[in-house]
Amino acid sequence: MVAILAWRNIWRNPRRTIVILLAVIIGVWSMIFLGALMRGMETEMVRNSISTLTGSIQIHHREYRNDPVVENCMDGIDKLNQALSTSLDPGILWAKRVRVNAIASNARHTGGVTLVGIEPEKEAKISFIGKAMISGRYLTTEDKNKIIVGRAFLKKFNTKINNKLILMSQDTQKEIASKAFRIVGVFSAESEAVEKQFIFIPLLQAAKMLKMGDSISEVSIMLSRLDITGKKETLAAKRLTAAIADDTYRVETWQQLLPMMKAYLEMSGFFLYIWYFVVFVAMGFGIVNTSLMAIFERMREFGLMKALGMRPFQIIKGVVTETFFLLVIGILAGNILGFLSVAAISKNGIDLSALAAGAQMWGIPRKLYPEIWAQDVAVAGLVVLALGLLVSLYPAFKAARFTPTQAMRKN
Amino acid sequence: MSIELKMAWRNIWRNPRRTLLTISAIAFASMILVFMLSFQLGCYETMINTSVKISTGHLQIQAKGYLKDKKMRLVIKDPEQVAKFLDTVEGIDTYTFRANGFSLVSSDTRTYGVVVTGIDPLKEAHVSSIKSLVRKGSYLKEDDETAALIGELLSHNLKVDINDELTILGQGKDGSIAAAVLTIKGIFTSGIDEFDRNVIMMGLKGFQEIFSMGKSVHEAVITADSLGDVSMVKQEIQNNFLKIKGGEYLAVPDWMEIMPGLLQGIQMDLVSGIIMYIILVIVVAFSIFNTFLMAIFERTREFGVMMAIGTTPSRITKLVMFESICMTIVGILLGIIIGSLVTLYFQNKGIYIAGTEDILKQYGIPDRLYPRLSLISATAGPLVVFVITFVSSVFPALKIRKLKPVEAMNNI
Amino acid sequence: MKKLILIVGILFFAVSSQAQMTAETIVKKAFDYWRGEASVSTITMTIHRPDWERSMTIKAWTRGESDSLFVITNPAKDRGNSTLKAGKGMWIYNPKVNRVIKLPPSMMSQSWQGSDFSNNDLAKSDSLIKDYVHTLEDTKIVQDKKVYSIKSIPKPDAPVIWGMIKLKIREDNILLSEVFFDEDLEAVKIMTAWDIRMAGGKLFPLKWKMEKSDAKDEYTRFVYEKIDFKKSLNKNIFTRTHLKNPDI
Repeated sequence: MVAILAWRNIWRNPRRTIVILLAVIIGVWSMIFLGALMRGMETEMVRNSISTLTGSIQIHHREYRNDPVVENCMDGIDKLNQALSTSLDPGILWAKRVRVNAIASNARHTGGVTLVGIEPEKEAKISFIGKAMISGRYLTTEDKNKIIVGRAFLKKFNTKINNKLILMSQDTQKEIASKAFRIVGVFSAESEAVEKQFIFIPLLQAAKMLKMGDSISEVSIMLSRLDITGKKETLAAKRLTAAIADDTYRVETWQQLLPMMKAYLEMSGFFLYIWYFVVFVAMGFGIVNTSLMAIFERMREFGLMKALGMRPFQIIKGVVTETFFLLVIGILAGNILGFLSVAAISKNGIDLSALAAGAQMWGIPRKLYPEIWAQDVAVAGLVVLALGLLVSLYPAFKAARFTPTQAMRKN
Repeated sequence: MSIELKMAWRNIWRNPRRTLLTISAIAFASMILVFMLSFQLGCYETMINTSVKISTGHLQIQAKGYLKDKKMRLVIKDPEQVAKFLDTVEGIDTYTFRANGFSLVSSDTRTYGVVVTGIDPLKEAHVSSIKSLVRKGSYLKEDDETAALIGELLSHNLKVDINDELTILGQGKDGSIAAAVLTIKGIFTSGIDEFDRNVIMMGLKGFQEIFSMGKSVHEAVITADSLGDVSMVKQEIQNNFLKIKGGEYLAVPDWMEIMPGLLQGIQMDLVSGIIMYIILVIVVAFSIFNTFLMAIFERTREFGVMMAIGTTPSRITKLVMFESICMTIVGILLGIIIGSLVTLYFQNKGIYIAGTEDILKQYGIPDRLYPRLSLISATAGPLVVFVITFVSSVFPALKIRKLKPVEAMNNI
Repeated sequence: MKKLILIVGILFFAVSSQAQMTAETIVKKAFDYWRGEASVSTITMTIHRPDWERSMTIKAWTRGESDSLFVITNPAKDRGNSTLKAGKGMWIYNPKVNRVIKLPPSMMSQSWQGSDFSNNDLAKSDSLIKDYVHTLEDTKIVQDKKVYSIKSIPKPDAPVIWGMIKLKIREDNILLSEVFFDEDLEAVKIMTAWDIRMAGGKLFPLKWKMEKSDAKDEYTRFVYEKIDFKKSLNKNIFTRTHLKNPDI
């Protein structure tokens, strides 16, 4: 009964209703839209860093992360292989790597790099390198003295495809190992730092050059889908640790490997919800103002109702129910608008390359694909609904307090 | 003109509740913008000052070319002369001298190539935060010549601890061999991995001796009174020192040149901040637009009467616009005042955001953030609100021109 | 490295010039001529920069293709600093800190004592023989002596940074110049030798200079003050113990 009455009431003055609705819609839309932009950015950042050789999970020698030298490598390959294949779900990919610091030089330049020995086919499926080649070709397992380098590295070393690069590092015997490689391909990455830092050679060649035998520096595992909350990763990591059952190995998820990223995600989620609140307050003033005006316009009506014996509580209920309908319609419409606008831009993404210089530095992607999270939609909707109802109590109490005489005197 | 203004002022107080709400909306938006912008700028300043504190200083004096290529021979030949001059410059808080040399640093088991920096223990403590970063052992004393401070990660990699010995072997300024055994006196943790992995510090006197530097140094590291004074100080040094007293071979890079990445990051973050503000302003504009529109609907009758007694629609429009402007100005002033007060409060107390320590630490920022009120942060946001409010009041006001007196009077 | 070595070595028996030598043999013979079985020499090294110059005196021992020991004898301040190259490793010793340090890979491309030679240049002294394919480009007569121009191209997998080396070798096995090119075949560094005289019992260029091709006022010059060629040297000279205590 209250509901039907309220529904009819709000359409008695469609112009006013539309004005209020518009305010709610714009408010909700801005929350959904901004949230989607932010989440899109976050996901893309996580995805980028994960694919930049981190992976969902990594396994290292216990000491390797503190001291990434060739001695801290893992040699129980068979055991690792077995643990990996028994404890991970089918469909989960992994690849082995050798990763050490090295010195690269040609006739005119010399500089420190991270030498990454990869299993070309497997690696292509789990990290950015598979899709990052911009010229030349990718590595094959059989390549003997071939190397791929980043675009920025190529520029820094003033070299080109087919040119030679000498790598020097320390082998497991603590001797200096050096070997000549020929550049066969060039990759690009989201950041110049990555393009300058990493150079790739086949795993077999790295192991041979560094006299590592079968040992490797790390295993990188890529789960089939990124879980930005990290729960799936943690679970898988636990099972792996149990399967390996050897504390010289350490299994870590991307959240442990990238603590900064984790902190950033937490912080930005927190800020988003603060922002929702701020937007609501800005919007709330409009809602209160408009509904207050509506109440005063209808003073006669409320006075009459009271004169007819309606209790203040019922009037409050009526007004709040009206607001409820307005809010629900506004939230729905705002969501639809939000979804539509996000859908419109997510097809092509937003190009951030104008900001590229700073963006790369901070690991922010060049292209942004907004992403709507159910959680954000729910929070936005709840914030608007709960706070909207709360602020509508003010006009509602006002309406309930009108005395019949006061009301009748108007006009 | 003044009649309309008076009328407008009286009109807005005919419905004080609505006016107050409208003003509050404007004030709230202005306040939030003042606070947020101050907060953002404050964070940048903290960030800059902290990074600057960790190593670079606000500005440095160094030989031309040293910034690009840290060659041992590119020195400040006469630091005393530089010091004499710096003492006379307004806006300089403090300064110190440093020297750097690439060396092989070895412990019993490991050898790494790192940069060893010679610092003046007393002055350095005022310029940089290094003294407070020593978490194990103690800071250097004035006369410590062969004692060293070492980053925590580097100490881990070298497998050394307090009181252990390190051998450094590099090349002196004159090309001779620089070698020394240093005793580790303190281990510091800045939280910035890059820094903790690559830095060894020792007393400047000892450094000058070992690296055959004589009296010369590589950098004069200067902290200005505030970030805002940096360009002034730079100008002063450029005009009155580099050009005149035989200082032509020197340059004065500021923090933006020394750490270009930091500036880019800030610009980037500012852009995303601005996007958020724009969205907020749009929401506020709608809120206010609604109120204005509603007010005009409500007063249709009144306008009809006014027209009927001969007031031209343009005069009514003008009146309504004046009303909006009055409300906006009051709102904005309130917003600026409240916003500034809130900002000033937090400027003293600082804001603690739980769970952000890690990320802040990586940029070397303490766990409390301080907004910073400035003329720009106090006025930029409200100014935008003013413009937007004005624009959103134009449309409802224009509606008045379309009113027909008779119809309008019939409107309830 | 190719160049420093040169400085150091000598052959015991002079080889008479032969009319039809292959490029390979010319280079090998020249190399053996400089390097010899073993040698002991005293060298003054001058590092020159546009605004700065510095000299030091070095005593050097070499043995076979790859062992060498350099000890600084002057200036007094640096006296006793020494560098040992034995087998694949390189160690340095400083008397002040009394420690022997093995050079890590990251230091190999750094300059040796501030000169225009890198540690790597020293460490890979036999590279010219091992890592290159040589071809004879032409033969000219200069001052009554034949001078061979030889082009040396690195073998495909050789870990050398150069794209090409050009050598000028006189018919009596004396290396006159060596030019190092990058992969685009542009000259990077140029080494020249002159002042050929009888020393230690055979003809030997006593002055050497290494300069950058694009900065002619940056160079490192060696002058042999004294050189003795020997049949052999005690193996113990090239050990870490001796590195600390050389007879200078």
